[in-house]
Amino acid sequence: MLRMCANRLVFMVVAGLLLLTFLFGLFHVIPGDPARLIAGDSAPEELVASIRNAYGLDLPLGVQYVAYMGKVLTGDFGVSNFSRQPVLSIVGPRLLNTAALAAWAMLFAMVVSLILGSISAMYWSGPLDKSVSIVSLIGICTPIFVTGIVAIYFFGVYLRWLPIGGMTTWRHYIMPVLILGFAQAAGFTRMVRACMIEALGRDFIVTARAKGVPQHTIVFKHALRNALLPIMTFFGLGLGSMLGGAAVAESIFNWPGLGRLMVDSILTRDLPLTQGCIFFFAMIFVLVNLVVDLLYRWVDPRLSHD
Amino acid sequence: MNRRINFIGASLITLCAMLAMPAMAQQPKPQYGGELVLTGQLDKTMFPGRNTDAQGMDVYLNSCETLVELTAEREIRPLLAESWSASADRKTMTFKLRQGVKFHDGTAFNAEAVAAVFNEALAKKFLYVSLLEGLQKVVADNEFQVSFQMSAPSAALLPNLAYRTMCIFSPTAYKAKGEEGLGSNIVGTGPFVQTEYTKGVSVLFKRNDKYWQKGKPYLDSIRILFVPDATTRLAMLESGDVDRVAGVPSFEVPRLTKEKTISLRTISSLQQHYVVINNQAKPLDDPKLRQALNYATDKAGIIKSVFAGTGATLSRAPTLSPGVFGFADMREPGKDTIFPFDLARARSMLKEAGYEDRNGDGFVEDAQGKVLSLKLYGRKAGVGDYEIAQLMKTFLEKLGIKIELVVLESATFSAALSVGPKDAKYDLAILSWTVPTADPDEPMMYMTHTKAWKPAGANRMFFSNPETDRLAELAHVESDPVKRAAVVRLWMAELLKLAPVIYLPTLNLTDATRSYVYGGVYLPANVYDGTSAWIDQTERKRQGINR
Repeated sequence: MLRMCANRLVFMVVAGLLLLTFLFGLFHVIPGDPARLIAGDSAPEELVASIRNAYGLDLPLGVQYVAYMGKVLTGDFGVSNFSRQPVLSIVGPRLLNTAALAAWAMLFAMVVSLILGSISAMYWSGPLDKSVSIVSLIGICTPIFVTGIVAIYFFGVYLRWLPIGGMTTWRHYIMPVLILGFAQAAGFTRMVRACMIEALGRDFIVTARAKGVPQHTIVFKHALRNALLPIMTFFGLGLGSMLGGAAVAESIFNWPGLGRLMVDSILTRDLPLTQGCIFFFAMIFVLVNLVVDLLYRWVDPRLSHD
Repeated sequence: MNRRINFIGASLITLCAMLAMPAMAQQPKPQYGGELVLTGQLDKTMFPGRNTDAQGMDVYLNSCETLVELTAEREIRPLLAESWSASADRKTMTFKLRQGVKFHDGTAFNAEAVAAVFNEALAKKFLYVSLLEGLQKVVADNEFQVSFQMSAPSAALLPNLAYRTMCIFSPTAYKAKGEEGLGSNIVGTGPFVQTEYTKGVSVLFKRNDKYWQKGKPYLDSIRILFVPDATTRLAMLESGDVDRVAGVPSFEVPRLTKEKTISLRTISSLQQHYVVINNQAKPLDDPKLRQALNYATDKAGIIKSVFAGTGATLSRAPTLSPGVFGFADMREPGKDTIFPFDLARARSMLKEAGYEDRNGDGFVEDAQGKVLSLKLYGRKAGVGDYEIAQLMKTFLEKLGIKIELVVLESATFSAALSVGPKDAKYDLAILSWTVPTADPDEPMMYMTHTKAWKPAGANRMFFSNPETDRLAELAHVESDPVKRAAVVRLWMAELLKLAPVIYLPTLNLTDATRSYVYGGVYLPANVYDGTSAWIDQTERKRQGINR
């Protein structure tokens, strides 16, 4: 187990460095001059050149790359081209904000989908199953910016129950978490339902029923645990789309997270900041996959012996 | 009976209140206290020398003041300078400074501080130095007198010094913290002291109790929340989470007008849209053809469909909008705009330029049968840029010109339009120009002058004309306002003859404020001055807002 964790951590670092190299190359291939964007569209070339020089943007590509990677290896991700603040000091708080949003939304999505998916499978083809299917279909088909804006106007403007933007109090969490979580729960529910239908049709369930095991024990103890492996994979993968959705939710609910920061930094060609954002996004993704792998072993102890 | 008496009594009270209201509305008495919550955007540093965007100025103007100010009425008035005078050769401008003013860090505001800021701007090439062209150095003559020494006379110096980005920050704080430090904590002499800043979230300014304008400001604090999404901003205003929103989308104006708790205010901006015409690309070097493009553009149609009829107004002069020094109505008699929409006239001018539909395919060809085809660059950014690009394609295709619309992402677009004539790939491009100092010097010397061809300046048309260059240089040094205005008028008349660009509508700015907020000034540079702003606390509570 420890060896696996060590291997995965080494893989994480290598993947991160490769990613940074790729981003560095990409930013220098696409058109757009960061110095020009800093100086403004109308700035004279002389001024743009002085900015290019001050920020080291006029150095040969190889020199810029070596200098950048050298600093990264010591934990220095450089400074933002626009705010001139260290990238880590900008990304750090934003990363925590996104993590808080994503974690709560993920928890909500998992709990809701496990309950609704299981109930749906229990009453397969019944009216309850159909209702859950319709709701989850709506959730899958409706983009976050639609549900988000509808929720803002209904709960924020019309009823004035909830604050709209920011993350000052726990009440600020409710709308973004529920909206982001609902979008994710919709897809998860269908997956849980499918896995549970398959698990409930297996021989050991028939045996349990024949032995007179109560229905809730059959569903939540026997069937659900066996259905968990594919469900967990799906939850792990779902985190990727959750982070993508978080960027949209962050813009709508004015959540000061990493997604919003990343989009802004790409649009302004703030290379150090973009690299920092994507690097930490990728690290979250790799870490979650590591956690999912560890959970596999907990759910199915046979894997530990392989 | 009692009910009737009650009704009559109530009606009389209401009537009296209604009669009294206009008088009260004219002379509301400012109240002290309260926090005004605004929305803004600050992607860059707060250091004025490295952020000249309107969004940046809108934030740091609360703390940092200029020597002179440009008012909402477009007048230059004293601020930190009490008076000014020019030397006989007009190469030196001397300012007498206000005494007894202190920076928020407790240090004294004096001539040395002013000289230190501007000399540092020249040495470190702050982003606004291009506006100080010709400034050699700034000298502190005595404690409260400072001189700006120029290599040549410049009539634009004074209006340029009113540009909010040229505010005087504390040199002591600058020495201690550097650009980076002031970038997150600006220290000036303004009505509010910056006390908190969370990047991407908010900034808080608290009342400066030692402010030099006695009795001001009225507010305890101003909090600016950074909200990038326009829909969210409006929702926050409607729910009472914030008190003011700038840049209200035009299509939201009719709905918000009906809201009794929200006051809308529309002002004319200093920003005019235009289509860059690459004057060096044949056949666009022919003024006749460029005029034809202007006449074929339905400006009223653009205002109606892109700006909901209220977000922009028809331009009355080339480049300059009302309020800019030297602005004059340059329309033909009886016409609603310069180059009024006239497709027949455009077609006839195109014919004079040698283009007509010779084979009946709907497109115009030259004598050799070559179809006139142009590349129009646009981007999905700014207010209506993309929509205008689509309309321009339609207008010009109606004229018979084949248009290839190239839509680029913002940074790519910026790069494509920052090159010299040899590298320029565009024939036409949608842009807008702003004259934030309300002085014509920048458009004359820096946007249309031959010396300002990209990449050196901002002349992306590669327009060159000896007469407009001469007039621009004349206006640059002329100190007599009457003579200077006459020169500016001649310059505009030349532009109308030569049509270096396609002139489009002038943008309006609309802000929405909760109806209990009074006194704040919305300036044409799209910034909000909260020095005189105040909140009617009773009305705010009545509206159920208890922040």
